[in-house]
Amino acid sequence: MTTENSVQDENNISTIQHMISILWPSFLVGSLTTILFFTFFDPNDLGMISGYAELDRLAGYSIGFFFFWFLSAISSALTCYFRQPCSRTNNPRSN
Amino acid sequence: MSNDTKQDKDNSQPDELETALYKKREKIYPREVHGIFANLRNLAMVSLLGIFYGLPWFNYDGHQAILFDLPARKFYIFGWTFWPQDFIYLTALLLIAAYALFFFTALAGRLWCGYACPQTVWTEIFLWMERKFEGSRQKQMKLDKQPMNGEKILRKGGKHTAWLLFSLFTGFTFVGWFTPIASLYGDIMVGDISAWGVFWILFYGFATYGNAGWMREQVCIYMCPYARFQSAMFDKDTLLIAYDEKRGENRGARKKGADPKELGLGDCIDCKLCVQVCPTGIDIRDGLQYQCIGCAACVDVCDEVMEKVNQPKGLVSYTTQHQLDGGKTHVLRPRIIVYATLLMIIVGALMYSVATRIPLELDIIRDRNALYIETDEGMIENVYTLKVINMSNDPQTYRLTVDGLKDIVLENKTGDITVESGAVVEVPIRLQVDPMNIKTASSKVNFSIQSLSNEDIALTQTGRFLGPR
Repeated sequence: MTTENSVQDENNISTIQHMISILWPSFLVGSLTTILFFTFFDPNDLGMISGYAELDRLAGYSIGFFFFWFLSAISSALTCYFRQPCSRTNNPRSN
Repeated sequence: MSNDTKQDKDNSQPDELETALYKKREKIYPREVHGIFANLRNLAMVSLLGIFYGLPWFNYDGHQAILFDLPARKFYIFGWTFWPQDFIYLTALLLIAAYALFFFTALAGRLWCGYACPQTVWTEIFLWMERKFEGSRQKQMKLDKQPMNGEKILRKGGKHTAWLLFSLFTGFTFVGWFTPIASLYGDIMVGDISAWGVFWILFYGFATYGNAGWMREQVCIYMCPYARFQSAMFDKDTLLIAYDEKRGENRGARKKGADPKELGLGDCIDCKLCVQVCPTGIDIRDGLQYQCIGCAACVDVCDEVMEKVNQPKGLVSYTTQHQLDGGKTHVLRPRIIVYATLLMIIVGALMYSVATRIPLELDIIRDRNALYIETDEGMIENVYTLKVINMSNDPQTYRLTVDGLKDIVLENKTGDITVESGAVVEVPIRLQVDPMNIKTASSKVNFSIQSLSNEDIALTQTGRFLGPR
């Protein structure tokens, strides 16, 4: 595949493909982070400290997972955004 | 990119493009295949699904035999119980999984993809259900072309109902690996299940339905990280599935009994069955492609065809690059030996470490406020906090002793230390030594704890005793 082709493909990929390229890697990283984080921190302890003592552990893990997934997704989204060449966003009338 | 859409053109309708999640793709209708590798694949599928759905229901010693009990923060694996403190074992297991993947990839290519990957296994069972409702490949294609009618609604509806039910059961079983499955089942039956439990059953169920029912080969082609880097582990002696071009070309149809040599043809009769059975929709005759998951369906079907036309089997076969080039395959090569050695070292270390594991942990934390104190009696005193973690399944009472310096005095107001299963207890203690008996500014002292009910549970940790010099 030539470079020209891949640039073209990049322009042509669908919104849903963009979404998946953001959500899928962040899902993987979010899962890994969740495992590492909750190995060292017990959600019950964290709940006590932060005043949400009524949350059970499963809720703690779940909220933690979505939190990490969300953070990673922001990072993925920013990566997607910044890898567009500047000229495309800064020069709307260049064509 | 045209490469991806040209395949299978003769067999499915290009105008029938399906809006897939990743790109416009032609729906792939893998044809059912029989043969030795199909049998192996079915065997792998049945045993792996059997393990996944069956194992959570087995009990061992009064608890679920294998349970990664997240709500209780402990993992049961038969007789062993692991706590978050045992994280090192999980790391070792992940290392083993990684090296095993490297080893088997270098040796036998995409063995994992073709036989053991959950994506393959669940796709396979979903294809089986699809065939039960929609019939063979031809019937499925015909059904998709038909306008919506009663039969189509019935067949499609039946398929999706079966898929969804199976997916829900999969989600339920998945959650059952992490919370006790028997009580989860009971909770569902009486309708008293936690909101998060329901959420994860639906989440995993939906992922199963989407991945195995709709996404299928697109997961392997676009989403799988392993598929992207596995070629880095390939060399010329790695087992792969390939078409013998020298023998097969020129491909072409021929009349029964005609001499291919006269017609200038090779052994490939261009029946395209290898394309029809391929779950990722590629043509193996185009050479090694990253989409090939090494399932060997094309090997089985081509062997069948070769048998029918009275030609030797193996036009498409498991082979290696060296063999294709007319050379010999070397199984034992540095890469394999290195991977195997590393794998054996880590497995050995893990096994040794688990076998000699003492379900007890002792951390010694020195008082940070003072290096040492001189008491009124002229003794040198050091203050510590001991953290005792009981990782056994029963409550334990431990006795603490200290030695290492002459006439060392242990002042322990707690006395014998009782710790519940899985709990941590902090014990403040003081050690006093006559300055006459201190030789250096920092001396070693040994803290030993011993369970009173089980003599195998004992541990000695070394700490530092600071004094004047």
